[in-house]
Amino acid sequence: MAISMTAPAATGAGPVTLARQEQRFAVALLAPALLLLLLTTTIPLVYLAWNSLQRIDLGMPWLSGFAGLGNYAKMGSDPRFWSSLWLTAVYTASTVALQVVIGLSLALLVLQIPKGQGVLRIAAILPIVLAPVVVGLFWRTLVLAPDFGLVDLVTRSAGLASHNWLGDPQLALISVIAIHTWQWTPFAFLVMLATLATLPPDVYEAARLDRARPWQRFVYITLPLIRPAIVMVVIMRTMTALSAFAAIFAATGGGPGSSTEILNLYAYRTSFSELNVGYGASLAMVLMGITLAVSWLMFRLRKAR
Amino acid sequence: MKRHPVRHALLWLMAGLLLAVWAFPVLWALLTSFKSERDVLAYPPVWRFAPTLDNYREVLFGGSSILPNLWSSLVVSFSTTLLTMLFAVPAAYALARLNYPGKRASGFYVLATQMLPPMGLIIPYYLVLQKIGGLDSYSGLTAIYLSFSLPFAIWLMVSYFEDIPFEMEEAALLDRAGRMRTLWYIILPQVRGGIAVTTIFVFLNAWNEFLFAVVLGGNKVRPVTVAMFNFISVEQTQWARLAAGAMLAMAPVILIGLFAQRHIVKGLTVGAVKGGGRR
Amino acid sequence: MSHSGSVRIEGVVKQHGSFTALHGLDLDIRPGEFFALLGPSGSGKTTTLRILAGLESVNAGRVMLDDTDVTHADPGERDVAMVFQSYALYPHMTVGENIAFPLKMTGTPAAERLAAAQEAAAKVGIGHLLSRRPGQLSGGQQQRCALARAIVRKPRLFLLDEPLSNLDAKLRIETRAELRRLQRELGVTVVYVTHDQEEAMTVADRMAVFMEGRVVQVGTPKGIYLRPASVAVAAFIGTPPMNLLPAELANGSVGVAGAWLPVDAAAGQRGRVVLGVRPGDLRIAADGMPAQIEFIEDLGDSAIILLRLDGQQIKMKTDQAQSLQEGQQVFLRFNPAAAHLFDHDSGLRL
Repeated sequence: MAISMTAPAATGAGPVTLARQEQRFAVALLAPALLLLLLTTTIPLVYLAWNSLQRIDLGMPWLSGFAGLGNYAKMGSDPRFWSSLWLTAVYTASTVALQVVIGLSLALLVLQIPKGQGVLRIAAILPIVLAPVVVGLFWRTLVLAPDFGLVDLVTRSAGLASHNWLGDPQLALISVIAIHTWQWTPFAFLVMLATLATLPPDVYEAARLDRARPWQRFVYITLPLIRPAIVMVVIMRTMTALSAFAAIFAATGGGPGSSTEILNLYAYRTSFSELNVGYGASLAMVLMGITLAVSWLMFRLRKAR
Repeated sequence: MKRHPVRHALLWLMAGLLLAVWAFPVLWALLTSFKSERDVLAYPPVWRFAPTLDNYREVLFGGSSILPNLWSSLVVSFSTTLLTMLFAVPAAYALARLNYPGKRASGFYVLATQMLPPMGLIIPYYLVLQKIGGLDSYSGLTAIYLSFSLPFAIWLMVSYFEDIPFEMEEAALLDRAGRMRTLWYIILPQVRGGIAVTTIFVFLNAWNEFLFAVVLGGNKVRPVTVAMFNFISVEQTQWARLAAGAMLAMAPVILIGLFAQRHIVKGLTVGAVKGGGRR
Repeated sequence: MSHSGSVRIEGVVKQHGSFTALHGLDLDIRPGEFFALLGPSGSGKTTTLRILAGLESVNAGRVMLDDTDVTHADPGERDVAMVFQSYALYPHMTVGENIAFPLKMTGTPAAERLAAAQEAAAKVGIGHLLSRRPGQLSGGQQQRCALARAIVRKPRLFLLDEPLSNLDAKLRIETRAELRRLQRELGVTVVYVTHDQEEAMTVADRMAVFMEGRVVQVGTPKGIYLRPASVAVAAFIGTPPMNLLPAELANGSVGVAGAWLPVDAAAGQRGRVVLGVRPGDLRIAADGMPAQIEFIEDLGDSAIILLRLDGQQIKMKTDQAQSLQEGQQVFLRFNPAAAHLFDHDSGLRL
């Protein structure tokens, strides 16, 4: 670089380029949060992995020791584990599907009564802001309790007998699915409503001129246009369903027996009720693996669209 | 637009049904909280009854008072929210608007931390806190709450930051603002709404948290979500008191939900409609 | 203020990865000049402007402002103001606060800031809008607000990035004149980026034509118009654009479609050339280049005639179109001095 014949370089920080200043600033802003994240998520995970290779029994500490992959091997022949996997799959798939279908249908219908939307939005907020554990308790006591709960009142006056909604193994699963769906459908509903409101009207006008019927307009115009929103809702609801804990814990505790014991709950019970923390850790690792795999899959799907 | 009166009426009916389905449990609980234990168990259900404040009295000032639990919830939620926002907002700004080596990697990292199931973290937390005596402490619980608050808050704020036209920084730099003052005077005021929404959500999530609270709390620090189980035991359920307790426990979040309803709806849709964070 | 505002760019190279945006740029801008950077999109003119602002770094070369090397100086240190294409107004501040912001950043006391902001706003005619928000202003008013924010600091260099492109046609013409008036009044150096050659022609004292990361000609608008340095420049400048026809040059004449017409060429020049003739320089005559009229655009006091000559479409501008008809066969001539000759292979002016 030629040396200037007249004045020296401009004052200031010297030849520190804009880019490097920006980098330093960015690192200063980001580093504290990243450090916290490392401390609160990554390091515990490493510890979890370590624990999963141990045999840790909080009730009988003298039995603890290194177990290698023994915990994982045990899983393969553990029927309760496979049952929990199955239940997780059923729970996740059905709640997400129900939420999307119901949420979308409701949004489509509500679109046609603009005056009602305000009140409905308020009503939709209520289930979402409540603590899942309180929702579980509500349903367990006020709604699903045999003889006194709302549902029983309805079925009894309709002539269908009273049932033990949470005490019967088959009904219990349906009940917890209903609880989760009740709480989170409003989310899908609100998102769908907002998305549908942003759709351009001229596309529909063109379609009507092209003599497309309502059903066709829905399938060929609406669906493709709202697909990104649906995908996003599916992703977010799936994550919630996979990690759902409080509502089921409050409503059934995982029971009766293990008929509502999704993998989440199985890991919890193993670690904190049966105090078999090593095995519980390995279960948690599997859950984590599943969650990461599912989310990775979904994000790939999203990009592919 | 043709008007189908019948169809219109049906739609309103459906809307009414929705309203009932979503709002009724809360209203039912509210109603129950004013009943005496006897009235609650009556069948057919009693619509006219003498309302009583006994339940609330008991739940607030009596032997099964949840006031200490409300306090626990308040302290933990408040400190979680404060710390989260303090760390998340600058971090989100860097992720959204600045260039630095490892930007993509750090973006993925933050996204990945959001995907972690809490169940995966509770076991190591318990073991570690037990060893260092951090169980049943405000700082322990707050620190752990950050594990889910921080990624969420960063992710949400990033989408708000990305909304600002990128020339803002350039114009401010030319106006001699420097990086820090640009952030303070120019950028942050433009995401005020986003900060409000994020704060609300972080607080809500912290207040409603259960798993971490029940495992890592104890007798001193016992958020209100855990205290709900005081009213349920193997022998009996104290229905009316449970209802009253739940109403008090949920009062803050319900109030926030009602008053900030527009903000909340916007926040929910921001994440979904804009594709959730990373582009 | 105390500086004169001269700009010198020496050998600046700018690369984005493997793509070179600027190949060794040299430019000299005199103090108080209204200097335009003209070129199609992607030609490097905006990049050059941003380098002057300090918003982009350079891979090689120097940028000198008033004989001071500012190549590595921060944007805020260069005493340079910029008006962005999108105006980049701070939406959460009032117009007055927007304008006063640069002064606030340099620690000017509030009373002074207010006075300066009012003065700047008055200069651009928005003195009555100081308490409004940018969102409440029209496009033209927003642009003036951006201008006021730039002039309030009395910088030595003004950078304008296509400031008129967001305005409608009528407003654009009005604002063009205003910008010139303002610049004359302030006496400040202005570097103005645009892709609209008509705009550049009307506002600039001198301009640089950019093509593909290089400056292909520098000069006054009139000078470039009368003597474009290459086929590319010739095609770019002028509305309607210059007609360019492949031709044969020999013995002081060009041959096009069988007709030979005299031109001003140096003796002994021969070979394949590109002949350039502006639409306004063509005339219908008894003989000359044969062409067929395809379409007549009647603009009222004049007409643009589309003709087909030697398989190519050309345009002609005339106010004598009454007797002409579409489909008619005519002959075209031009004044020898009005012909532009370019080398067929290199495209450069002969």
